[in-house]
Amino acid sequence: MSYPDLSVKIAGLHLRNPVIPASGCFGFGREYAQFYPLNQLGAVAVKATTLKPRIGNPTPRVTEVCGGMLNAIGLANPGVDYVVRYELPWLANQDVPIIVNVAGETKAEYVEVVRRVCASGLAAAIELNVSCPNVAAGGMTFGVDPNILQDLVAAVKEVCTVPLFVKLSPNVTDIRESALAAQAGGADGLTLINTLLGMQIDIYRRRPVLANKTGGLSGPAIKPIAVRMVYEVASVVDIPIIGMGGIFTGEDAVEFIMAGASAVMVGTANFTNPLACPQIIGEIEEFMRKQGIRSLVEIRGCIG
Amino acid sequence: MLLRVKDIANLAPDIWQITLSGDFPYKTVKPGQFIMIRIGSGKEHVLRRPISIAAVTEQSLTIVLRVVGRGTKWLSERCIGDLLDVLGPLGRGFPSPPQDAKVLIVGGGLGVPPLWLLGETIQAEADEVDVVLGFRSQRDCILTDEFSRLGHLVVTTDDGSFGIKGNVIEAVDSLRRSGHSWEYVYACGPLPMLRNLKRYFSNQDVKGYVSLEEHMACGVGACHGCVCLSEDRSLTRRICVNGPVFPWNEVCL
Repeated sequence: MSYPDLSVKIAGLHLRNPVIPASGCFGFGREYAQFYPLNQLGAVAVKATTLKPRIGNPTPRVTEVCGGMLNAIGLANPGVDYVVRYELPWLANQDVPIIVNVAGETKAEYVEVVRRVCASGLAAAIELNVSCPNVAAGGMTFGVDPNILQDLVAAVKEVCTVPLFVKLSPNVTDIRESALAAQAGGADGLTLINTLLGMQIDIYRRRPVLANKTGGLSGPAIKPIAVRMVYEVASVVDIPIIGMGGIFTGEDAVEFIMAGASAVMVGTANFTNPLACPQIIGEIEEFMRKQGIRSLVEIRGCIG
Repeated sequence: MLLRVKDIANLAPDIWQITLSGDFPYKTVKPGQFIMIRIGSGKEHVLRRPISIAAVTEQSLTIVLRVVGRGTKWLSERCIGDLLDVLGPLGRGFPSPPQDAKVLIVGGGLGVPPLWLLGETIQAEADEVDVVLGFRSQRDCILTDEFSRLGHLVVTTDDGSFGIKGNVIEAVDSLRRSGHSWEYVYACGPLPMLRNLKRYFSNQDVKGYVSLEEHMACGVGACHGCVCLSEDRSLTRRICVNGPVFPWNEVCL
């Protein structure tokens, strides 16, 4: 039997496989290049970048909970000009498409950052971060109101010269409304889900563990919620979906694809196991071979 | 890489010493470096635990940990022969002092173990090594026999049940008043101790190095979870890759 074909086409991007390290969990790629060649990956989603450098929130800003973790990094990054000049060129030489995650506090900031990233010619796609739960201004506030979201996406779309993905927040009553708003604004694709707002309390010190008090929950604990949301969104939009939320194995990834995702992102698992992404790629291939699946299109959204 | 538990021993209440063997680049280990250990399958405990390397031979490494939560509890329950999934050695360790330097090592509580390997490494080169270790109480004292072989050792306890009653800063001060002087100071312990030590030596011609700890996620510099502020508070430094050891004049303690 011939080898299964893991390649996927998504919003004009051709990826050699559907596995992409998620934004915020892979830096700008350098740290993981010591473990494996990054060209094994479908693409790399880099850490969120903003117009000005940000040092992020006070520590502790990560903590473990059962089956997952909370983070409140707070969009720490060296700013778009540094990223474009010193981080992306290195990653662009690793023979892997780059998805640049963009965040901002105002519509004008989002537009300007996207403009500068696109002007660099180094991004294969933009992922608009309207779902960071850990910053006071901007972040999730753009992602939870459909009207504001549609307006922002439309404004960014005007200057965006590469496929535009919008990363949706799960911290809403009905994620389908956000998805439809992003689609109406002109998004070429959706990525979901970002983290769920959570909290952990140190009962001996009688205070929250995170200095920010709350943080975003990720990891295996959120996977059933994420699969359900990908399924819901896939049933109402026409644009492709990149699914994520607690993917640790190839079987987890296949669940998202059967729910309707064209590709998947892997976040927390990179921390548990630096080789998580290549292992997941191998496990997807093994699953396809054993099940006689030649292409992922055969199973995408197959649960109906 | 998978390492096998060669030995596990209870040193003090909630404090465990584990020696690991197996394929690992032991010869590259620098004092102050750490390993990240996976807890169980990694699906319930998704974050590895960062534990500093306390001692190393050509065929094994030793860690000392305190049970502070479910992850470290799981580690304390390992048996001889069990396998642990280990990442490392990670981080930047303590730089060696020049030949014949006068060295002071200051440790507090669970900050003591990484200084053990440092003490062994510099013992051969340094002119004289003073060691001041602080603990809460006699029952918390660890590695005092090991350190007594490395140099002139002073132990303090908060309650006076062992050694000198008081804290390490007071012990350092009394050593200095009795004529000791140092060119290099290496410290690991609670943040207030490090802060006070840096302040104590602030107007003196002393090179100081501190090992910091923080909640970590990736351990390799990707997640920016374990940061500290630079001295001028304008930048963050990642403790896992820029540290955990920093010159104390480069970080805000």
